[in-house]
Amino acid sequence: MFQPINRRSFGLLVGSGLVAGADASLFIRPSHAAETITVLNWRGYGTDEASALKAFAAKSGISVKHDYYNSEPELITKLRTNPGIYDVVLINSARTQQAAVEGMIDPIDFAKLSNAKDLSPTLKSHPNFLFKDKPFGVAWVWGMNSLAVRRDKVANPDSFALFGNPDYADRVALFDDAATEIGIGALLTGQDINDPKDLKAIGEKLKSFKKNVKLLWSSEDEWNKAFAAGAFDVSVYWSGAAVRSQRRLKLPVDFVVPKEGAIGWLDGLSIPSTSTKKEAGYAFINYMIDPQFYVEWATTAGAPASANIVAMNGLPADDLNKTIYKPEYLTKLQFMSAMPDDRRTAFADLWQETKAFYAK
Amino acid sequence: MIPLGRIYLLVVVAFLYLPIAVMVAMAFNASELYTLPLEVSFHWFEELAGNERLLAAGRNSVMVALVTSILATSIGTCAGLVLSRRKFRGRSLLQALLLPPIAVPWIITGTAMLVFFFWSGIGRGLHSMIIGHVALAIPYVILVVGTGLQTLNEELEQAAMSLGSKPAHAFLTVTLPLLAPSIVAAALFAFAVSFDQFVVSYFLATPGVTTLPVEIYASIRKGFTPEINAISTILLGVSMILILLFARLSHMGDVSDRR
Amino acid sequence: MIVGMLLPAYAWLMLAVFLPLLTMLGFSFLKVAPFGNHPMVFTLEHYLAFVRRPYLVDVAWASLSLGFWTTGLCAAIGLPAALALARATRGRVKQVLFLLIILPFWTNGLVRVFSWTMVLRDGGILDLVIHFFTPHAPPQGLLYSYPAIIIGLVHAYLPYMILTCYLALASIDGALLEAAESLGARSLVIFWKIILPLSLPGLVSGSILIFVPVIGSFMEPRILGGRVGVTMGTMIEDQFTQAFNWPLGAALSFTMLAVVLVIFGVFSGALRNRLATS
Repeated sequence: MFQPINRRSFGLLVGSGLVAGADASLFIRPSHAAETITVLNWRGYGTDEASALKAFAAKSGISVKHDYYNSEPELITKLRTNPGIYDVVLINSARTQQAAVEGMIDPIDFAKLSNAKDLSPTLKSHPNFLFKDKPFGVAWVWGMNSLAVRRDKVANPDSFALFGNPDYADRVALFDDAATEIGIGALLTGQDINDPKDLKAIGEKLKSFKKNVKLLWSSEDEWNKAFAAGAFDVSVYWSGAAVRSQRRLKLPVDFVVPKEGAIGWLDGLSIPSTSTKKEAGYAFINYMIDPQFYVEWATTAGAPASANIVAMNGLPADDLNKTIYKPEYLTKLQFMSAMPDDRRTAFADLWQETKAFYAK
Repeated sequence: MIPLGRIYLLVVVAFLYLPIAVMVAMAFNASELYTLPLEVSFHWFEELAGNERLLAAGRNSVMVALVTSILATSIGTCAGLVLSRRKFRGRSLLQALLLPPIAVPWIITGTAMLVFFFWSGIGRGLHSMIIGHVALAIPYVILVVGTGLQTLNEELEQAAMSLGSKPAHAFLTVTLPLLAPSIVAAALFAFAVSFDQFVVSYFLATPGVTTLPVEIYASIRKGFTPEINAISTILLGVSMILILLFARLSHMGDVSDRR
Repeated sequence: MIVGMLLPAYAWLMLAVFLPLLTMLGFSFLKVAPFGNHPMVFTLEHYLAFVRRPYLVDVAWASLSLGFWTTGLCAAIGLPAALALARATRGRVKQVLFLLIILPFWTNGLVRVFSWTMVLRDGGILDLVIHFFTPHAPPQGLLYSYPAIIIGLVHAYLPYMILTCYLALASIDGALLEAAESLGARSLVIFWKIILPLSLPGLVSGSILIFVPVIGSFMEPRILGGRVGVTMGTMIEDQFTQAFNWPLGAALSFTMLAVVLVIFGVFSGALRNRLATS
């Protein structure tokens, strides 16, 4: 039973998928004007803003379809099992190398992206994107996972140690994500979030929060609804989501980077190597890093910080995004980066053990 | 005894409908965060009317669930008849094989289907969703029909045969009508299994062609709005009307009373 | 004839469920899933998970007890409801009630669970109702607790039990009960000697349809349970959505499947003995 499913036949099938894709394009050969590309991303994460897609279609004649993923492993699985379907994909830069190693995405040709000149040089050439010295992703947006508190209940939040403060018994919501929680444990114990040497200390730190932890949230929606219902006062949250919660839903939440620092992440856009519409894909990515698009997205909905310097400067001075992405925070962040499989497994194991401890 | 039983039934039905009443109420609530007190508004129905994606997903769901229900009920009823009426070697094994599709969490079945359908060339799309849903519904149909059969009086069928009926004729005129409530229940279950199935559908849907549960599941991270409640409310209303019409037209109740 | 009737169902199951699951079974013996550049290395380590990670034993036990509680409560609530449906109603009322009990299944499970959060949370609908009667009652705060998970699960699975029991009881001959009553049998005796044995097939299929999926459930524990909502279902889901460790997730799942099969093996053995002696 198990024999047919080895890597060679897997490769063959991927190959035949490619051939089938090529055949189809021979017969149809769509004109650039009537093209439809498919983007793989989180839902409601910029690339599917309805007004932006309309503007892009009017400008380029390319319409955009979406498929969504709900977790990073799912992203990798969908890329693997759908050769030829996707034309642009959003990948957390911590996973870019993993996708590049498997040959699922192409190296980026920045000559095809006129807006790339304004990208922050440090982010554009961030080591996360590099594999064999070639960039495999276009820096798009970055953000933080940090401390979010209810405005009138918590005065001067300045440390993740609040999670263990007995004043907040049963008032804490943690993010159900191994990399984030282990990262916070690492920050609290003064370690590197990507390569902590003392996992045991992190585990003990996280376990000491037990009496305070009320729930573990796994989606922005869940966070918003529970916060609105008053279920917790102190939590880990995403920077972009904090803007949306304040602006659109008028929730009294303050988002801060405490003295320990915070967890940064950098998201990039990549071109799947099996895409048959790479030119259209580049056109879309170029539009996504256009300052005009970003300013509209950030000011109407609420977004992470753009990797494009001109775009960030284009925000109105009093914009909420500006208060969240303070320039001095950049130096306090540690960015999530690629890590070997066994370390990821160790993180996952430790977080599961911690959760089982919380439940007991 | 009788009024007591009826009161108890009403309490149970009230419990079953409590969250559903909340779901309906929230469709008419202005607050996007589902906060109370209720502020009546038709805003979410208006939003829904303009949400072609969600409406198309709703139509796909109904279509897939109908096809699934018909296929799974006919295939499963045949197997259920044999499994509970005949004794043959390997029967217990076949019965035990009904457990894995129910016992293995959907996320594993879904991932496994995605990988296997990819390898075998079946691919993704509504067709593979139907293949998956029918398979998940079959064990439910077999179990429900089997329950009905076990308690049926086999002597009736034999009596009909001893009075000169051919076995097939006896089956069609005696057993099948008696079995009708079980088959109807099985079909409704099969419909529900498909209609509520989000994990497997989620893995097997192609971009742009989705079902309602897939849309809901994909919205979790970002948050789902009361539009979801609005479309659920409409679907619930339509199915209630259909079910009541069906009950009126069919003679199901008469059959169960005659027993 | 036998083969012809069985073939469509089992061929379909083979194609759509068994072959994919066998693939997963194969994965569970690999160190990592055979994608990308990972070599195929066979190992049994994932099946030793319960030995290496003692906390999993607690989680597994919690999941099993969730299964027992939910199944038990569904039986305790569902059997009388089925009896009432079969005996206390007739004609159109019976039809409509029968269908009304299935209808909740046709709404989305996720939406139902979210509705429960509105009912159970502090200051939620349950609190509003309680305050209406006793204005000074403290908030119940049921959300994010073990009882909340049980409520959600019982709600999700109760219709299975009612309907399977109903299908079993529908054939009870009313005359039989009346005869028993006229002979002076007390209702407890009637229940024990007549109703329970007759409803047994329904209780068994109902229990299968409830116990089996409940121990793998993840939605209700995760959303209603808060900190305490950690079950084998959520652990397995995490292996797929967070840890990207398919082999371990699959191994955990097949271990649970084996436990379920053993439980049902023992159970059906006991049942057969009981039926043989009575």
